[in-house]
Amino acid sequence: MISFESSIIRLKDVSKKYSTDNVVFSGIDLEIEKGEFVFLTGSSGVGKSTMLRIFFCAERPTSGEIWVDGVVLSSLSNAQVPYLRRKIGVIFQDFKLLSNRTIFDNVALSLEVVGLGKKQAEQRVMQVLEGVGLAEKTSHYPLQLSGGEQQRVAIARAVVNRPSIILADEPTGNLDLQRTEEVMMLMEELNARGTTIIFATHDDRLFENTHRRVLRLLNGKIRI
Amino acid sequence: MTFAILCRRAFSDLRQNFCAQFITTMVVSLSILIFAFFTLLYFNLQHCVDRFGAELGLLVFLSEDTPKDRIPSLYQKLTGLSEVEKVTYISSEEAFGRLEKFLKDEKEVLEGVNPQFLPPSFEIRVNRAVFQLKRIKQLAGEIDKWPEVSKVQFGQEWIDRLYVFSGLVRTVVVITGLLLLFTAAFVVTNTIKLTVYARQEEIEIMRLVGATKMFMRGPFLVEAFLQGLLGSSLALGVIFACYRFLQGLEAKSELLRGVNICFIPWQYTVAIIASSVLLCVLGTALAMRRSLRL
Repeated sequence: MISFESSIIRLKDVSKKYSTDNVVFSGIDLEIEKGEFVFLTGSSGVGKSTMLRIFFCAERPTSGEIWVDGVVLSSLSNAQVPYLRRKIGVIFQDFKLLSNRTIFDNVALSLEVVGLGKKQAEQRVMQVLEGVGLAEKTSHYPLQLSGGEQQRVAIARAVVNRPSIILADEPTGNLDLQRTEEVMMLMEELNARGTTIIFATHDDRLFENTHRRVLRLLNGKIRI
Repeated sequence: MTFAILCRRAFSDLRQNFCAQFITTMVVSLSILIFAFFTLLYFNLQHCVDRFGAELGLLVFLSEDTPKDRIPSLYQKLTGLSEVEKVTYISSEEAFGRLEKFLKDEKEVLEGVNPQFLPPSFEIRVNRAVFQLKRIKQLAGEIDKWPEVSKVQFGQEWIDRLYVFSGLVRTVVVITGLLLLFTAAFVVTNTIKLTVYARQEEIEIMRLVGATKMFMRGPFLVEAFLQGLLGSSLALGVIFACYRFLQGLEAKSELLRGVNICFIPWQYTVAIIASSVLLCVLGTALAMRRSLRL
């Protein structure tokens, strides 16, 4: 049983429907503890991405209440949303990197947004890029890197701002086994440092032998 | 976000998206160029009409039996009229002298002719402010009624033609100008929209990492400001170069001499630049409104 005080994400009777015929999920109650690493799984189209999108306010739920890092999302105005997003790092399957900017600039974008000083930002970016093993490729452009490297850049961008939550939406979907393992190791490292990770995937192999909590989305409900 | 950071980001974006930015600026420039050309045409037409009007005068011929001592009082009477700007008395001898000058080598035809045979007259320059056919006609009619006056002449036929022609051209220029203005506004805003849509992914990523609307919108607006400013300045620069070229032609050509080509008044030049900037900034703001939702 997770106590309310220690939960970083909490959902109470949350539903999302696009129309009466298109209900993604309904009546979801869920609590995720600070520093927890949870897998969110289910077949394609079941609503994993939608749930993550709701967590960082790219979409709003149809009904119910959600708390993220102590903030009630329904009370959040559009102008306040960017400040919540700075506490959340998001990683996607398709990396979402700016192809016309260097690796350094892509990662620095997160710090530019919060207005961190140039020197401090440079230090922080280099530190993070070293952490993901890309310190030698700072001046490269995304398309000059392999898929695994691009995903590591995306991870670096997500964590450079030191967020308390990482939302990873199928981050290994485009990677081979070896690159997938690299990404998983990075995630484990981040979690070991106290970052809460919600890892959405449809690949059962990633959590086959794990002790982590696995949340299964099935027919609009979560089963643990 | 400080203004310096905003400008730095805008210039960095300009460098990174140079091709798209260049095309947008050229579209703005060409649209403004066409519009400014018509504006130049309009003002030169207006200028011509004004000049012609200013040079137009009435010629008041006096009866042969008008006593010479009546001339000063008639002069006073004419200068006292509000529509009259300048009055010049031409005596019969002076008129004869002018005719001789006009005939040049053929002046011998005037040999034996009495220098008094031409009637004395007054040349009247009409006030530019009252350059209206109706009022000039009215004025001529009034003066014609004076007992000392035998005839009042003015280029009525010319004025009629000038009025019809200038009215027609002015209407064509104004309608074309307005159509061009709308076309320019449409082309510019849509080009900007396409540029914004082309950078949709960039906006999405910025949104993802927690950028505020101002952070995302700021550089785009600075870029739009520069596009409007550069595009319109370039267009007006080209128009100015054309104007200088025509001025050069005017100085060399007998046909064009005296046309006195004028440039678009500076107030209108500033207005064209300001409108172009406003159009680009508003176009960008509108195009971004949709992209920046949640």
